[in-house]
Amino acid sequence: MLEFEGVTKRFGSVTALDTCTFSAGPGRLTGFVGPNGAGKTTAMRSVFGLVELDAGTVRWRGAPIGQRERQRFGYMPEERGLYPRMRVRDQLRYLAELCGHGRRQSLRSVDEWLERLGLADRARDRVDTLSHGNQQRVQLIAALVNDPDLLVLDEPFAGLDPIALESMSGLLREVASAGRTVLFSSHQLDLVEDLCEDVVIIDHGRVVRSGDLAQLRAGVPQRFVELRHRGGPPDLTRLSGIVVAESVPGLVRLQVAGDVDLAELVAEVRRSTDLVSFSYRPPSLPELFREAVTA
Amino acid sequence: MNGLRQARLVAAREIRERLRSPVYYVSLGLMLVSVLAAILAPSLVGSGGEKKVGVAGETPASLVRTLEGQARATGTEVSVRRYASTDAGEDAVRHGRIDVLVVDGRRLEWQRRADEELKALITGSAQVVAVQERATAAGIRPETLGALLAPVKVGNRVLGPVAGRTSDDETATYLLSIMLFLTVSVYGGMVLTGVVEEKSSRVVEVLLARLPPWSLLAGKIAGIGVLGLVQVAVTGVAALVAVSVSDLADLPAARASVLAWAVVWFVVGYTLIATAYGVLGSLTSRSEDASSVTGPLTVVLIAAYFAGFATIGSPDALWARLVSWFPVTAPFAMPNRIAMGAALWWEPLLALVLTAAATAGLVVLGGRIYSHAILRTGAVVKLVDAWRGSSVAARVRTRPGRGAQAALVAGAVALGAVAGVLSRDVVVGVGAGAIALTIASRFRKAHR
Ligand SMILES: Nc1ncnc2c1ncn2[C@@H]1O[C@H](COP(=O)(O)OP(=O)(O)OP(=O)(O)O)[C@@H](O)[C@H]1O
Ligand SMILES: [Mg+2]
Repeated sequence: MLEFEGVTKRFGSVTALDTCTFSAGPGRLTGFVGPNGAGKTTAMRSVFGLVELDAGTVRWRGAPIGQRERQRFGYMPEERGLYPRMRVRDQLRYLAELCGHGRRQSLRSVDEWLERLGLADRARDRVDTLSHGNQQRVQLIAALVNDPDLLVLDEPFAGLDPIALESMSGLLREVASAGRTVLFSSHQLDLVEDLCEDVVIIDHGRVVRSGDLAQLRAGVPQRFVELRHRGGPPDLTRLSGIVVAESVPGLVRLQVAGDVDLAELVAEVRRSTDLVSFSYRPPSLPELFREAVTA
Repeated sequence: MNGLRQARLVAAREIRERLRSPVYYVSLGLMLVSVLAAILAPSLVGSGGEKKVGVAGETPASLVRTLEGQARATGTEVSVRRYASTDAGEDAVRHGRIDVLVVDGRRLEWQRRADEELKALITGSAQVVAVQERATAAGIRPETLGALLAPVKVGNRVLGPVAGRTSDDETATYLLSIMLFLTVSVYGGMVLTGVVEEKSSRVVEVLLARLPPWSLLAGKIAGIGVLGLVQVAVTGVAALVAVSVSDLADLPAARASVLAWAVVWFVVGYTLIATAYGVLGSLTSRSEDASSVTGPLTVVLIAAYFAGFATIGSPDALWARLVSWFPVTAPFAMPNRIAMGAALWWEPLLALVLTAAATAGLVVLGGRIYSHAILRTGAVVKLVDAWRGSSVAARVRTRPGRGAQAALVAGAVALGAVAGVLSRDVVVGVGAGAIALTIASRFRKAHR
C-alpha cells in the first residue's frame, strides 16, 4: 500500500501539491488523472525522493520510504531517459544490478523481458539505434527489471500505437493481478476507465476525487440517460431537472438527477416520439473528471 | 544494497563503457607516443652527431688539418667540405646541408644561431694556425710549438638550478608536469561531459530513483579516475623504461620514486578537479552550456598549471614553495619540486594534507549543490539557487558560441608548454601560451 499523507510541495509561488492525501493498494491498478500542471509528475517524483517535500509524508507499507524500499520500486519517468550510447542488454542489466540484484539474476530477468517484449534480437544494439517505440519498451523494462512491488509509471501510454497500447494494458493488468501496486498517470480517460479499479483525480495540486472508480461513479448524484429514437425529437418541456447534454437526429443525451422517476421520463418520451433504445447509467470517468475539475 | 556498493557499480559501468570505445585507447596511445618521442627522439636524431663544416675562399689547408686534429682531441666528429665559391657555400648553409661556412679562414657564417661548441672549435683552430705561422716567422721549431700547443681536454659540467639536477632533469620534469596536467584535465573533462550527458539524456531521473546522488557522482569520478590512473602509470613506466634504454645518463628526475609521487599527485589533483567539474556539470543540461559554466574553473586550472610550471625553473624559491603547498596549485607544483629534488621530506605530506582537506570541503559543499541541481532540467541553474536548493525556476543564462573555448584554451596551453620545453625557458613558455590564448580569444570574439 502506497500512501500519500498531507503531501505539500511549493515551487516558489506555485503550489504543485497541496496537502494531498490518497493511497494506492496492492493487486489493483490505480489511475492518476488531472489536467496539465495538476501535479501528477511532482507527486510521482516524490515517491522516489526526487523532490523535497514542504510538508507531509509518502509511506510504503506504513513506513516512510528510504533508499532500501526504493530498490523494490519501479519507475518510468515522464521524461524518458536512458544512456543513448549504451547497449540495451548492458543498460538493463546495470539498472537491475543497481537495485541489488546479482549479475546472473539481473541477466535472467533482462533476457526474459526482452524476449517477452520482442526485443531479444536488439539486445546488443545501442539504445539510440532503436525506434522511438522500441526505446519506450526498453524504458518499460527498466522499470520492471527488478521485479518491483510498486510500479509507478508517468504517462506510460503516451505515444503508443493501438497495438502497443493493448499490450501495455495487458501487461499492467498482469502486474497488478500478481499482487503488486501499480500507479500510473494518463490523459486517456476512457483507457483509465477500462483499466483501473481505482482512480485519483488531482487538480491544481489538490486531490478532488480518489478511491474505487465504481463507488465514485455511484456516489455522484448525476446520472446520464441516452435515448435513441425514430422520428422527431422528444418533447421534454413538461419535465423538470433535466439537462439536455447532446441532441442530434436520432439521439438525445440527458443529464438527470439520481432520483429521477424513470418511468415518467420514458412515458413522456414515448408520447412524443418512437423510442428505440434507452440507457441509464452513472457518469463515465470523463464526465466525472469534467465535473470534478471544473467544480 | 547500500550507496557504496552502488557507487562501485557506477564506477564499473564507467570503466566498462569507456573501455569499449576507441577514444580511451587513442588518448592513451597519443600520450604514450608523445612521451616516448620526447624522450627518445633527441638521442635518435643525435644532437651530438657529426658537425659539417664548409670552407670557401682563402682558407688555408693547415686550418682544416688543425680543425680535424682539435676535433679528434675533444671527441667531436667533424667533416669538412670545400666550396669553390663563397656563394655556393652560403647556399649550403642556408639549406642546412652544412652547419657553418668558414670564409677566408676568418669569418664564420651560420644559418641561425651559432653552435657555441663548433664556434669555439673553429676559433681555437684559427688561433692555433695563426700562432703557428707567427712562431715559424719568429724561428721557433715546429716540434717545440707542437708540444706547447697540444690540445687540452676541458670537461663540462651542467649545474642546473638545484644540486644533483641537470637540464635533462628539468626537461624530464617539464614532461612530467605536462603529462599530469593533460591527464587531469582530460579525465576531469570526462567527468564533466559524463554528468552533463546524464542530465541531457534524462537518464539521471531513472538512476536517482534507485541510488543517492553522491553514489552516482562518486562512482563516476572513481571509475574515470581509475582509467586516468592507468594512463599515468602506463605512461610513467614507459617513460622510465625509455630513459633507461636511451643514452641519457641516470636522471634523478626520472626515477621510480618520482613516478610514485606523480601517481599520488594525480589521484589527489584529479579528485579535486573532477569533483569541481562534476558539480559544475550538474548545473547545466546542455553540453553547449557546459564550457561557459566551467569557464572560471578552467581558467583557475590553467593558472595553477602555469604556476606549477614556473616552479621548475626555481624550485627552491619561497614563492615556489608556497605555490606547491597551496591546495589548488599543489597538484601541479609539488610533483615538479619533488622531481627537481627541491622538496623537503615533510613538504609533500603537508601539501597532501592541505589538498585532501580542500577536496573534502569541496565534496561536502559540492555534493549539496550537485544533489540540488542534478534534477533541474532546462536552463543553467544558478550556483546560489543550487546551494540553497531553492526551487524557483532557473533563470536563463545562455552564452552561445562558446563551445570551442575549452579547445582553444587547451591548445594555447599545449603550445605554451611545447614552447617552454623547446626553449627550456619558462618565461618563453608562459609568454607563448599567453599570446596564443590572447589571439585565440580575439579570434573567437571576431568570429561572433
Ligand atoms: N522543477 C520545477 N520548478 C518549478 N516549477 C515546477 C517544477 N516542477 C513542476 N513545477 C510546477 O508544478 C506544477 C505541477 O507540475 P507537474 O509536472 O507535477 O504537473 P503534471 O500534472 O505532471 O502535468 P502534465 O499533465 O502536463 O504532465 C506546475 O505548475 C509546474 O509548473
Ligand atoms: Mg506530468
